[in-house]
Parts: sequence; C-alpha cells; structure tokens
Amino acid sequence: MENSKVNEIVTRALEDIEKADKGDVINEIRNRYLAKKSELMGLMSLLGQMSPEERKDFGKLVNDAKTRISEMLNKKQQEIAQKELNKRLEEEKIDISLPGKKVELGGRNPFYLVQDEVIEIFTGMGFSVASGPEVESDLFNFELLNIPKDHPARDMQDTFYIDNNTLLRTHTSPVQAHTMQEAKGQPVKIICPGKTYRRDNDDATHSHQFAQVEGLLIDKNINIGHLKALLTLFAKKMFGEKREIRLRPSYFPFTEPSVEVDISCFNCGGKGCSMCKGTGWIEILGGGMVHPNVLKMNGYDPEVYSGLAFGIGIERVAMLRYGIDDIRKIYTNDVRFLRQFEKKA
Amino acid sequence: MLVSVKKLNEYVDIKDIDASSLAKGLTFAGVEVEEMVTLASGTNLVIGEILTCENHPDSDHLHVLNVNLGEKYGVNQIVCGAPNARKGLKVIVARPGAKLPQIEIKPSVIRGVESNGMCCSLVELGVDIKYLNEYQTKGIEELPRDAPVGEENVLGYLGLDDTILSLNVLANRPDLLSIYNVAREVGAIFSRKVNIPVVEHKADFVTDLKVGSDTDKCSQFSGCEIRGIVTKPSPKYVQEFLMAEGVRSINNIVDIGNYVMLLTGQPLHMYDADKLTKKELIAKSDYSGEFIALDENKYELNEGDIVITTDNKPMCLGGVMGSLECAVDENTKNIYIEAASFDSASIRRTSLRLGLVSESSQRFVKGTNHFQSEEVIALASKLCRELAEAKEVSNIVTYQKEEKKQQVVKTSINKINNRLATSFSKEEIIDVLNRLNFSVKENNGELDVTVPLYRLDVTCDADISEEVIRVLGFDNVKMELPVLPTTVGGLTSKQYRQKALRDHLLASGLSEALTYSLVNKNEVYSFNLLNEEEAYQLLNPLMEDRMMFRTHILHSLLEATSYNLARQVKNIALFETSEMISKKSHTTHLAIVLCGNNSKQGLLKEEPYDFYDMKGIVENIFSLFGIENSRYRFEVSKLDKELLHPGKSADIIFQNQLVGRFGELHPLASQKYDFGKNAVVVLEMNISPLLDAKVSQIKASEISKYPTVYRDLALLVDVKINAGEIIKAIKMSGKGIVSNAEVFDVYYGAPVSLLGKKSLAIRVSYSSKDHTLQEKEITLVEDQIKFDLAKNFKAELRG
Repeated sequence: MENSKVNEIVTRALEDIEKADKGDVINEIRNRYLAKKSELMGLMSLLGQMSPEERKDFGKLVNDAKTRISEMLNKKQQEIAQKELNKRLEEEKIDISLPGKKVELGGRNPFYLVQDEVIEIFTGMGFSVASGPEVESDLFNFELLNIPKDHPARDMQDTFYIDNNTLLRTHTSPVQAHTMQEAKGQPVKIICPGKTYRRDNDDATHSHQFAQVEGLLIDKNINIGHLKALLTLFAKKMFGEKREIRLRPSYFPFTEPSVEVDISCFNCGGKGCSMCKGTGWIEILGGGMVHPNVLKMNGYDPEVYSGLAFGIGIERVAMLRYGIDDIRKIYTNDVRFLRQFEKKA
Repeated sequence: MLVSVKKLNEYVDIKDIDASSLAKGLTFAGVEVEEMVTLASGTNLVIGEILTCENHPDSDHLHVLNVNLGEKYGVNQIVCGAPNARKGLKVIVARPGAKLPQIEIKPSVIRGVESNGMCCSLVELGVDIKYLNEYQTKGIEELPRDAPVGEENVLGYLGLDDTILSLNVLANRPDLLSIYNVAREVGAIFSRKVNIPVVEHKADFVTDLKVGSDTDKCSQFSGCEIRGIVTKPSPKYVQEFLMAEGVRSINNIVDIGNYVMLLTGQPLHMYDADKLTKKELIAKSDYSGEFIALDENKYELNEGDIVITTDNKPMCLGGVMGSLECAVDENTKNIYIEAASFDSASIRRTSLRLGLVSESSQRFVKGTNHFQSEEVIALASKLCRELAEAKEVSNIVTYQKEEKKQQVVKTSINKINNRLATSFSKEEIIDVLNRLNFSVKENNGELDVTVPLYRLDVTCDADISEEVIRVLGFDNVKMELPVLPTTVGGLTSKQYRQKALRDHLLASGLSEALTYSLVNKNEVYSFNLLNEEEAYQLLNPLMEDRMMFRTHILHSLLEATSYNLARQVKNIALFETSEMISKKSHTTHLAIVLCGNNSKQGLLKEEPYDFYDMKGIVENIFSLFGIENSRYRFEVSKLDKELLHPGKSADIIFQNQLVGRFGELHPLASQKYDFGKNAVVVLEMNISPLLDAKVSQIKASEISKYPTVYRDLALLVDVKINAGEIIKAIKMSGKGIVSNAEVFDVYYGAPVSLLGKKSLAIRVSYSSKDHTLQEKEITLVEDQIKFDLAKNFKAELRG
C-alpha cells in the first residue's frame, strides 16, 4: 500500500518535471516533492510503525525515490539553463559582415614604396644615406662631375637656372661630389635619394620633376665586377630572385667606363613580351666606374682609389613595377589611386 | 645619325651580316641602334609598260589597263584608279601574291572587270612621304622611259634596297657622325678590313685666296677656290644616299656639302667667290653687329661669336650659317670651299642663343677632327669636277695653329684588367686596340697607346679600359661583391625619425602625397602659414605655374584636395613631407590636409574632421619622437592673414619657437579653392627642430601599488576660460597627490550660455606612491583645489 504510494508520487513528480520549462518551475517542483513537509517526506513518519525488516526496505524505497526525483530535477534544471543560454546567445547574434572598426590605413604613393625599398635594400648592405640641396651650384651639379661649362653633355640635361651659377639639380650626382669632399679622401659607401629637375615638358613619360637614388662606393681596388655584383643583388631583391642583369656600354661624363643596366624582364621572365618590347630585357638604371677626373677634382688620387657609381630612376621603377602608364599619375595624388597601395607589410 | 647599310658596305664588307646582327653588335659595343628601317619593301614586283588604257565601263575614275610585264609574265589586265595612268607609261607592278607594307595583292574582280595586280606608288612601297613630291604622292610612280620592262629587282633598280640604321650617337662619340668612322667602328667590332678611299688633291692653279684666323676659337682653316661650276640636280646615287640619310637633295653644290659632311663628319661651307669684295676669309671673334643670314633673317651678333670675314664684314657665322650676301645660288660660277675647326663651346653658345641648330653646328658643338680638312676638301673638289663640271680647282690654302700630334695614353694590362674585373690576355687587349686603330707599344705589360686623331674622347687610361670592354663584352666581367671594412650604414637618427613619422601617419589613416616643388608665383607667398622668406625664382621657367621653388607644401596639398573633391572623393586625408629651400633657410616641412569625414567604421560611424583631429595628430607626433608635453605648447594662433579660422586655429610652439600652425581653413581661403561647405583642416609644420631634438633616455618609474582614488568636479566658468588653464591649476593646487586631471564633459548650451558661461566636468585622480590615501587627506586637497579655482577663475562649483 505504502509502496505503491511512493511509486505513485515518483511518477507524478517525473511527469511534473517533464512538463517544466523554466528555472523557477523546477524550484517549485523541488519544493513540492522534496521539502520536509512534502508528501514523500511525510511518508517517512510511517517508519516508526514498521518492523525493522519493513523499515529498512521502506526507508530505502523512499530514499531511492528522493534521489531519483532529485537527479531528474537537476538534469532538467541543467537542460533548461542550457536552453535559456542558447536562446540568449541566439538573440545576441550580430551581423559579422558589417565593417570592422578601424583607423583605415593611408594609401602609400608608389613613389615612396619604391624609394623606401631601395633605401632598405642598400642600407641593409651597409650603405649610409646622404643628402644634398635641391638648389645647387653649377660647380657641384656639373663642373665637379667632369661637365665643364659649354660642354655638349650639358645638352643631355636641360636645366632650370636660378641665376648663372645656381640651378635646380638635374641629377642626384652632385651629392657624390659633396660626400667625397666631406670624406676627405676616406672610403665612401652611400646612396642618396632625392628629387631632381629638368626643363622638360610634362607628358606620359617625361616630368620636369623626378627622383633618383644615386649610389657611390669608393675604396681601393673597386672594379666593374663589384658594380655588377651589387646591382645583381639589388635587381634580385627589388624584382625577384630569378632576375639577372646585363651591362651595355654607354656614356655619362662622370663615369668611365659607363654602362646601362638591363634586368631580365620580370613580366615574361626573359621570353619577350610587350613590357620588354620583345627583347626580354628592361633598361632600369645607369652606372659605371667613377671617372678619374671626378676622383681627382674631389680629393682622391685615382692611382690609389677607384669607385663605382650608379643611379636609379624612382618613378621609372614604380611605373614598371606597378604597371603605371603615365608618370603624372604619381604626382596627381588622386586618393583612389593612392588607396590601391595601402597593403604593404 | 642615320646610316645606310648599302653605303657602309662600300667601305667595309659586311654583306654576310644581316641587319639585325649588325644592329646588335653595334648596340653592345656602345653604339646603340635605336631603329632599323628599310626604305621600301615589297615582293613580287616587276617593271611594266602600259600598252592600253581604257575607262572602266562602270566607274568614273577607274581605268582598265593592259600592262606588258615582259617575256616571263606577259601582258596582264589591271584595274587602276590612279589619275596619271596612261598609255606608254612605265610603272611598278605588284603581281598577285605581292606583299606590300600595308596590303597583300590578290587577283580580283573590280566592278565586274578582272584585275591581276596593282600599279604602285612609292607610298605603297613604304617610302616616307617626306622624300616625295606632291605629284608622287597623288598617283602611281612614273618610271623613266628607259626603265627595263620585266625587271624584277625593282627596289634595286630604284635604289630603295637599303636598310637604314638609326644610331643614338652619345655625346662622347662625335666621330660617329661620319659614315667613314661608323665603317671603322663596324670593322673593329666585327674584325673586318676597312677600306676608306684616299683622295689625292689635284690642283690646276695656285689661288691667291687668303685664309686665316684672328681668334683662338678657330684653330684651323682650309680653303680652296673652284672655278666654272654648273648648278644642276645631283646624280641618282647622290640623291639616293642623301635620301637614305634623311637629307633632302637640293642641287649638286648643296648636296656635295652634305654628302662630304655625312661621309667625313667635317662640315663645309661654300661662298660665291664673285660676291666677295676681297679674296680673303678671316675668322674673327670680336665682331658685333647685324648679320643677315641665308635664311633671310637678321641676327644680332656679339663679341665671342665666331664669324668669317672678308674686309672685316661677316660673310659667315662660323659653323652655324652663311650670310645671304655671298650665298651660292643657281647662277654661281666660282666658289670658295671652307673646311675649318671651331671652338665647340663658342658654337654651342652662339647656336643656343640664336636658336640656330643645324647638322653642321651640332658636329662642331660635339667636336670635330681638327686634322682632316685637306682630305675633306680634296674629296669635295673631286666631286665638284664630277658633279658640277668644275673647270679649275686650286691648291688648298691652310691656316693651322695646332700641331698635328696624336695623343699617347699610358696604361697597363694589369690596370685594365683590375678596373674591369677581367683576365684578358695581353694579346687580346692589343688586338682590340689595333682593330680600333689605336697603335700600341708594349713593354712588360706596360702600354703606350696612340689614339687615332678622330677619337677626341680617349684621353686617359680609364678610357682605354672602356674601349677594351665595350668590344670584348661585359659578359667577361667577373661578379664579386666588394669586401670592405665594416662601416656603420643605415639611417641617421634624423632620417629614422622622418621615416617613423611617415609610417606613423600612414598607420593613422593619412595617405602620402607627392607634389611638385615648382609653383606659381602668387601661390608661393599667398598661402604661406609659416615663414615669409623669399623664395627662389627660376630664370628660365617652362610656364608661369611652375616658376617658383616653393617654401611651403600646403598650397600643393590643397590643390590635390581640390582635384579629389572635383572627382567626388569626399573623405580626404593627405600628408607630405618635403625639403624646403628658401634664400635663407633649408628645412624639412610636414603638411597635412583633412577634409570630409573621419570614418571609424565604414559609413556606419563617421565623424567630420575637425580641429581636434589635427591637434591629436600633432600631439602624437611629439610623443612619437619622445618629446614630453611639457616641452611644447599650443597657443591661440597669431597668424594675421585670412588663411585660418581665427577661432579654430593654433600655433605650435616648441623650444620657444613657432614651428607650425594648424586649424580650420578660413572661409575666404576655402572659397579660393572651391571647397564649398566642406570644412578643411590644415597643418604646415617645420619638423626640422623635432627631427633634431635631443630626447633623454626613457627611465621606467615605479607604478604605485596603492589604489588611485577618482573624484569628479563640476564647474561653471566664464566661456572664454580655456579648460587647459583649469587643468593646469588643479594639478598645481593638488601637487603631491593629484596624479592627473581630465575633462570628461563640456557643456556650452542654455541655460549656462545665457550667463556667458560653460560647464566643465573634470575627473581628478589622487594617488600616493607610499601609502593608501585617507578620506580626510583627499578632502583636504580637494577643498584647496576648489578654493583656488573659485579664487583664480571665479569658478562656481556645482553638484
């Protein structure tokens, strides 16, 4: 009789638990079935009237019922908590496709991308960075570089003059002369990036303002092989490991021998394409061995010292590398153009 | 310099070398071939004769021709549209299958009439119209009556079977402005024998022409008198050669001058002997006055210009242009030929000043061989006999001041190999030099190298090494990285700071601009926030907009902003750093323009740029360089131009020196750039003092382990009092335990605005390094702060 009563309570409790769907309902059920004054606990009072044998069995029965209900309550409680948490998390869901909060990175003018990279490559090889004035004297821009007054080589560079002896530098080479004079006969290992000016009308490939990076290395026993090795290293760093260079004889008044340097085309790998005009090679810079007259005029004994020099056109490299078809785009600063160059580690 | 390969072959046998190998060989020896063109091209060509010419039944301009193409091809019917097609005419016929530069010929039916081929104009064979007269360009080419019908080598018959190399002659190789010397060069490069004809001069009489020079700018002058010439068209071979060289044939006398100059590199000048008042040609450089040149223009000559005079009257502007007075014309019978050497710098100055640049002047400017004038005159006078029926040629009279001496350069096998990083043998080196016409005396590896007279560019041992490597090839150079004493490379602290600044600004969302240094004269002074220094002005600007060397960047950035706004780019944040050079100073500037919105999250969260964005940027720049905020300050701007909004601008003072100005653009300035309603915030700053600033090493200080207490103050103060002053006063009053004070709210609106006041809420932080602060302690200090604020700022405490 009592036994069936216990079972009946358990069945009822389990039904109630099954129906419960909120945390506070569970608490109410726990109270109803397991509190001291609950029906189940009330049955414990019957123990006194029982034989020890019966008492043992009935006590176990009630205890098991209590444990069972309690376990089921806990289980259900966990289920409900989990459900409520899931529900809350579901409600808190956001649209992850909306834009992130950030300070947008600025766009880098490709000019600076190239200039900075050239500087990095050469400072990595132990070069220092020298600079000189953009408003320069005729002496430093021409004469100390073996281009005397009225020399036909001056026609190679149309010049903006301030007065008869002052001009806007037409190349970064005057920094060579400044550096040599300051070094007072000691070895020199510099690059000098900077703006230069020529009296050219602006069009897609000409600009009255453009920039060069000049390199100069002076020591005992410097030779053309060193120039070739340095520039090969540069070409590989700047345009990829597979690049090779080729030297062609040329003429600059301040170097002897003078060379034009071609790199194997980075677009087609040397097979020939529209970028390299089918030759597989792209002219990229000029250089040579410092002319003995230049060494002499700037305080070095050409019998003891020799030097190599080279000059790289920044815009030209930027145009080739990034496929820019008009040099004026570099100087226009269209924000949409600049923004294309923000990604750069 | 244009070079006819056909002509070249007369002096050096290179028939077995195809044009592209020739071009490659020259280019890699330093004589760049920029372009190779064939004068004309076409296959399946044949010379024909028009037997009949009828009108096309179905056209008002076409003709139906029967053309005899000789035995092999017989008579063919051809439909032709040329207006000059007529019976009896000898023509060039392109037979079916012919490939012409523009078209391929196929048998066809034209308006119902069969046509087997095409009668051609020279234009259709690819001949540049600059060599043709108008009649030739309008119809088919009319061949001479004696043209051989059936001849298939039509281009050869026309003298158009030639390839022209366009050489980029560099400034150090003026000798290559001569076909003879190009032949010598080709001979050296390809190891071929060169055969330049030597012309013996034959004199029929002794002239009493007197030549000379009163100036050191003419070191050599040769003359020759030629009598009884006849002016007429040049023969075909001369015309063809001139055409290949891009020179128009005029008449035999003019053509002889050009022909000889192209072959030898020596410009000639010819005088009509009967128009000179005296038999003398004297070079002078002290003439000044008027000169009427061949081109019938009047030029003003100065002392320093080289003139050739007769009786002290200028008859020729030496090396540049002859006078009209003694010009050779179709009636000329007797001439004087001049072959002289002039100082290149003088010719350069004169021709630049007068804007007279010619093939002759270019050769003198670049440098000519001073010792070949007699050979040149011998060639010219021989041609006068052959082409102009010259009756009598005189002896050559010469004024020669320079000693004819070949330069000897000392060098050695070792020196050459060391400079080049090569290991050429003695034999290889001497062979190359000999091929280039240098004679070499060798003794134990030491070399005495004698330079040919036409090689003006070779003067030192470095030049000899260049000769060797350009012929033997740079592939022989061994690559080796230089081994050098370790030196400290890399960036100086100043360079590093500038780079760090640029990277910082890029990371802060500003794009880096690059603008031109040359600006308009008005702009250089009008938009100058910082210095008023005088800017450099160009003597020879290309245009007015680019005639001043700028002393500030901002104007250029505002132009870029304007460009972007005009293209619907609304949000603009640009900066640029650049060297600034004025007559007084040399500094580095930074300029910034902010316009539109500062996006924090796409379009979802945007704020218009304002004064405080720029102020924050400036503060961060100082922090970036480790310059504490006690070392600089912002002051209400003292700028007295209408460039910045007077209420929204500030001066940046660093080390008691004005280094920058920033703020919102003045509405009037904004109008000038068409910015409309867009608020634009700008900065111009001289960052040199910051790049140079000495900064002390950072020392870590102990962070207090005792808790910080925060207390808020709410104040009502006069609207004109700056929050900065209040903060400063709070820190002063609470010295010792007030570690910070910050404004967290400002309110300007009603009702406080009605009282001319604003409300400020300030959070004050109290902390101690050695104990936990007691309530009493804090209250005491807070009361002191309140008292001082009330006393000094008439601040009312609220809440």
